[in-house]
Amino acid sequence: MLTCDEYITPASLDEAFDALAAHRGRYRIVAGATDTLPWAREGRAGDVHIPVLIDVTKIRELRDISVGDKRVRLGAVTPIQRFLDDKNLARSLPAMPRCAVWFADDQIRAQATIGGNIVNASPAADATPCLIAHEAEVELAKKAGGQIARRRLKLDQFVIGPNRTMLEDGELVLGVECDALPNYGGSFEKVGHRRSLVISLACLATLVKLDAEGRRIADVRLSLAGVGPKPLRLKSVEDFLRGGPVTAERFDQAAEMPVSLVDSRTRQEYRREVVRGFMLRGLINAARAAGAQPDVLAPELEAAYA
Amino acid sequence: MPDLQFKATINGRKISRNAKPHQRLLDFIRDDLNLTGNKEGCGAGECGTCSVFVDGTLVKSCLLPVAKAQGTTIETIEALAKTGELSVLQKAFHKTGASQCGYCIPGMVMAATAALRTNPFADREEIKERLGGNICRCTGYQKIFDAVELARDVQNGTLPAAALLEDETEAGDFIGKNVHRIDTPSKVSGRLKYAGDMTMPGMLHVQVLRSPHAHARIVSIDTSAAEAMEGVAGVITNADVPGEDGFGVFVNDQPIMARSTVRYVGEAVAAVAAEDPLIAKRALSSINVVYEPMPAVFDPDEALRAGAPVLHDYAPDNVTKHIPIRVGDVDKGFAESDLVVEETYSTQQIEHAYLEPEAGLAYVDHDGVVTIVSPDQNITHHRHMLARIIAKPISKVRFIMSPVGGGFGGKEDMIYQGMLALLAMKTQRPVRLVFTREESIISTAKRHPSRTVLRMGLMRDGRIRSLQMKMICDGGAYGLSTEGVMRKAAILAAGPYVIPNVRVDTLGIYTNNTPSGAFRSFGALQTAFATESHLDICAERLGLDPFLIRRINAMRDGAMTHTKAKLGSVSLTRTLDALEKASGWDTGAPTSRGATRSDLNRPDIRPPCALGARLAAAEKQEAAE
Repeated sequence: MLTCDEYITPASLDEAFDALAAHRGRYRIVAGATDTLPWAREGRAGDVHIPVLIDVTKIRELRDISVGDKRVRLGAVTPIQRFLDDKNLARSLPAMPRCAVWFADDQIRAQATIGGNIVNASPAADATPCLIAHEAEVELAKKAGGQIARRRLKLDQFVIGPNRTMLEDGELVLGVECDALPNYGGSFEKVGHRRSLVISLACLATLVKLDAEGRRIADVRLSLAGVGPKPLRLKSVEDFLRGGPVTAERFDQAAEMPVSLVDSRTRQEYRREVVRGFMLRGLINAARAAGAQPDVLAPELEAAYA
Repeated sequence: MPDLQFKATINGRKISRNAKPHQRLLDFIRDDLNLTGNKEGCGAGECGTCSVFVDGTLVKSCLLPVAKAQGTTIETIEALAKTGELSVLQKAFHKTGASQCGYCIPGMVMAATAALRTNPFADREEIKERLGGNICRCTGYQKIFDAVELARDVQNGTLPAAALLEDETEAGDFIGKNVHRIDTPSKVSGRLKYAGDMTMPGMLHVQVLRSPHAHARIVSIDTSAAEAMEGVAGVITNADVPGEDGFGVFVNDQPIMARSTVRYVGEAVAAVAAEDPLIAKRALSSINVVYEPMPAVFDPDEALRAGAPVLHDYAPDNVTKHIPIRVGDVDKGFAESDLVVEETYSTQQIEHAYLEPEAGLAYVDHDGVVTIVSPDQNITHHRHMLARIIAKPISKVRFIMSPVGGGFGGKEDMIYQGMLALLAMKTQRPVRLVFTREESIISTAKRHPSRTVLRMGLMRDGRIRSLQMKMICDGGAYGLSTEGVMRKAAILAAGPYVIPNVRVDTLGIYTNNTPSGAFRSFGALQTAFATESHLDICAERLGLDPFLIRRINAMRDGAMTHTKAKLGSVSLTRTLDALEKASGWDTGAPTSRGATRSDLNRPDIRPPCALGARLAAAEKQEAAE
């Protein structure tokens, strides 16, 4: 059970930093709270008393979303449900809608935030690999000497291990900025113990852009999570596929490449099989969404991994 | 602890109340506003029965700090049938029979309401996906999906409102008819009060201190600090039991709370009744128990070995119950057989996972009658046991069975009712205990894990000559229903088959694991899993069709079972016929024929579920535009 003496909901960044300074060492930041409350239960953290909870969901800088031609900016407290409701976001982040469907159920998706998913730094976080594939940067801010100091870190450098990030004491995640990739096809593959509301055993975000004929890969982004301490961007696989034709043979070869990266604490053999299958299915689904010519994808391959 | 001044509009009415800063919205609406229609099933966002609308968005109120709902408009299940008239969806649930225990149903109705508000034309796949955050354990999801589709069609005018009415039946003819369950309106509206929803004036809240050790001697328990705490009304340990302690179904080996020894992790050691649950929780942490850990045993085979730790003095071999059955001459049968097959089967411990965690309310009434209200599946037996334990005449003990939010046998044991009785007697006030999901899982009975060695001798034509089975079950730390489970397992071990020579031994063994108890099928699952799996293996070895090998050995009308029960009518062959037809079974030995089988991937077989129905629907709509 989680108890606190005070629950503060600052309305502005200044108010938030004042609260952080006033309660240093005695607070915990809350956004959606969908991980915090289950954490403070028997079997995990047990009964926890945190003197002050600081709820950041009402701060404008953390709520703002902007969608540009090149980059998308997501406030840290953007609920996961937005990726299903907001057509502009869905168009610019083509793997995100499917990721959002897999992320949780309707109720939790309405409450859980993108910033919370990042800061939790679970090895199985679903949104993080999608954002990493979009070259996301984390916007951070802290108040020092009366001034708000901001900095940016690449998301794959911000997350350093299971539940560990580069977030400093007194620092807040304001949001993430990432590539807008409207002409890409996206896919998100995930497996867990059930379909709804489940932690990933493995997940893969795939983004594919094809040439004008729909036969060759102009660009590809791949990010894998749930198979080791932190999400991985698969750059060498991307390099192998980029510029090449869309063929079953190429996809087969690519699917084999990240299998050796599986470094989870449990069920490695299973996860290796999953990674191989997900690579094929992710590439097929993303290529199809990107408008691949119907004849370039072998039907038997499609049938096996659809 | 400064309280929040909480303002909101709840079910159309403005409220302004003090709330605790740590309170969840669920606690606030249930405890402070007494809106108990939405339930708590897990407290961790998994089950969805707490789902409410906040500013029109469905959320899980167990995951929402009440402060987050400041200034919002909230709708609970009570908002849907406010004037008593059920909503179209609630009527549809009534029509399709989409409620059994009813505990998940308020959340299901809320999620279904959200689904149809979001997309009034949602197809079945999308409905499934939108209800994906809600768990049901007994109704079965199909009737719930049927209800949502029915409501959708009535709302959209493609079906008349009359479709919600009960099917007309001729007098006395109910079989195969859709008859309204009389308790459904109370369940779909959230009006039905389960034990955890009940309150009484002056009621105290109970929390239980549980053993962290699997096996230990209790050297001492010091409750003085807890007793002295402000807000604590009473603390009990085993020393407070006035009568002859010990409950069970067949052997009364379990004390109300651990007496000198703890035998499993999670066993109750002490309990506190206080003005609120938080005070009771804090009081628990001030109780000082000194344990002296003892060697523990976690595997029934190891518990049977000489020198293994002994759990109960009366059973120095750790055998709770051994049921032997002997028919004919098994060894001769094997010698006569053309084929003898031996395999080992195991089944695991299973939690019942009813949506309603255990809860109970107890009080001593004006006539001095100790009264326990709880979802107790065996109140008469428990009443007799409790009278002995608290040393009162039976006329001074009363059990009232509250609606059971799922039981499946898991609420047949008197795990907590004794503590409630003692605390009500000690404090002379009403006391209520509501288990957390974690507490329910750690402390209550499970399905018996089993290990079965099965040897079968058959003739070349498929006739079974001999069956020998030895099943060893982990009964855990206390007897509970183990004896009955072993009996039924043994009775059903040979299946519905004519077998001339049978040797069955089922053994329930004490270990320091969580006690095993009653669970739907009561031992039949464990032995049937072995026997039926074994028949498939034997059919394969003999090159026989698995339906055929069962028909060859099937009991027919008038058969005598291996426990000498004469069966007037046996429906096995009719069941096999129906099953073979419905499954489209591809006749032949069950050797691996892989993708060439004709009974795989048929259009009338439900495909594996997938997510993304709403994305497909959106794409379709976009294409149409």
